[in-house]
Amino acid sequence: MINVINVTKQYGDFKALDNINLKIDRGEFVSIVGPSGAGKSTLVKMLICEERPTAGKILVAERNIAKLKPNELPYYRRKVGVVFQDFKILPQKTVYENVAFALEVCEARDIEILDKVPKILDLVGMLKRKDNLPHGLSGGEKQRVSIARALIHSPKILIADEPTGNLDPVNAWEIIDLLERINHQGTIVLLATHNKPIVDRLKKRVILLKEGKIVSDRIKGGYVI
Amino acid sequence: MSWSTSGRIFKLGLVNFWRNRWLSLAATLVMTLTLLIISIFAILTLVIGKTTDSIRAKMDISIYFNDSATTDQIIDLQRQLAARSDVKEVKYISKEEALAIFKEQQEGKKVAEFINPEENPLPRSLEIKATQPEYLDQIAQYVGQDESKPLIHNVSYQENKTIIERLIGVTSFIKIIGWVFSAVFVLISVLVILNTIRLTILTRKDEIEIMRLVGASDTFIKVPFIVEGFLYGFLATILATILIRIGVSVVSPLIERYLGIDLSYRLMRFFSGNFLTIVGLELIVGIVIGIGCSLISIRRYLKT
Repeated sequence: MINVINVTKQYGDFKALDNINLKIDRGEFVSIVGPSGAGKSTLVKMLICEERPTAGKILVAERNIAKLKPNELPYYRRKVGVVFQDFKILPQKTVYENVAFALEVCEARDIEILDKVPKILDLVGMLKRKDNLPHGLSGGEKQRVSIARALIHSPKILIADEPTGNLDPVNAWEIIDLLERINHQGTIVLLATHNKPIVDRLKKRVILLKEGKIVSDRIKGGYVI
Repeated sequence: MSWSTSGRIFKLGLVNFWRNRWLSLAATLVMTLTLLIISIFAILTLVIGKTTDSIRAKMDISIYFNDSATTDQIIDLQRQLAARSDVKEVKYISKEEALAIFKEQQEGKKVAEFINPEENPLPRSLEIKATQPEYLDQIAQYVGQDESKPLIHNVSYQENKTIIERLIGVTSFIKIIGWVFSAVFVLISVLVILNTIRLTILTRKDEIEIMRLVGASDTFIKVPFIVEGFLYGFLATILATILIRIGVSVVSPLIERYLGIDLSYRLMRFFSGNFLTIVGLELIVGIVIGIGCSLISIRRYLKT
């Protein structure tokens, strides 16, 4: 499904990613770990097409996304959900409106919005709080809203960049639990994280990045630096 | 694009407008001022142009004869003039007719009583109308020739000509001032609107980022700003038109009071007769500036 081939990303003289090769299959749950500046975020940005590689190819469903035209980009982004450490939810909109917004700006019909949003909110356990504004929510709840929004287009891939970075351990675990459930339904989950206990307990594939290179790639690995 | 999509895009534009409402108000007012100035100068140029035209169309040459000239001589000159291809009509006005016209003009005033048919000081005259106002010059020259000179007391053409030339001078002066003022204000409103839209883009930075992430199409990201620009032009047109309408009804009584000319009827008629032209002109200028500024700001501040 995802095939990263000889990808290098260079900012000036600095190589953020150095000749990376990586293959991820349908239904996998992959953790990407490594110290700050190892290239995790660069890899994420590359996969959501926010940055383009200096060299190499990134094939997603056999298509090189490094060569997407600007008008194709929105349609690609609807196939890939993203979640960030800082949630990126709009403070002036309610939980419901935040999720509905993602459909509204993608030319969805009203009837589709009315049908999908409650279902997704129910999936992440936020249906009861749908009319709340974000400032009344806990970090974990905000992250759930953000995950709901990422899932609204039923993406094949969900990328989570430090989703637990701002959360306490209990909330963090709930989020990871939610990601696992999403993965069980067939969505690829890519988790970029610092959090050692989480990775150790997940017992899933772990890719370790260091100075822009893949140092290890282990099925059912733990967090080793 | 479906109705609900267009509706949502328009709503986003309205939200843009409303979120920075004070700034939007300032942008709209500056635009209104710009449109007002452009319209006022356009109206002034048109009104003066029309007045000049109508005066020019009414313009004729009157030749006033000395009392020593015989009627035969005058009739002779009338015949010569009537034979010219550039002359449309030559009308002889006798002393009696001149008196009748004078009495009619001065009706109710004392002067009229001082003149009686026995002691009529009014001269006989020929009134000449040209086929085209431009020919009046050559006709006047012909009349001024030596042979008829002793008969003629006065030719009225010169005076009219000075008035017309003065009017044309005023029109071109107003045109220049109008262009300068309009250009300055267009520039000011462009700068204000560019900055307003830049600020809306900045205040909506997070929203735009999220829109990108969830795969919003370019239309959804860009068109709301174009809607915002359009709104400035549209609202400013409405405001400017209302202000002009009020201005016309306030100014015309003043003109009447100070200049003794009753313009209110003519101005109102002009306003309603050219309503669509005025509104159309304002709308085009306003929308071109508004949307143009949006496009520039989008290109400059909205990274894609």
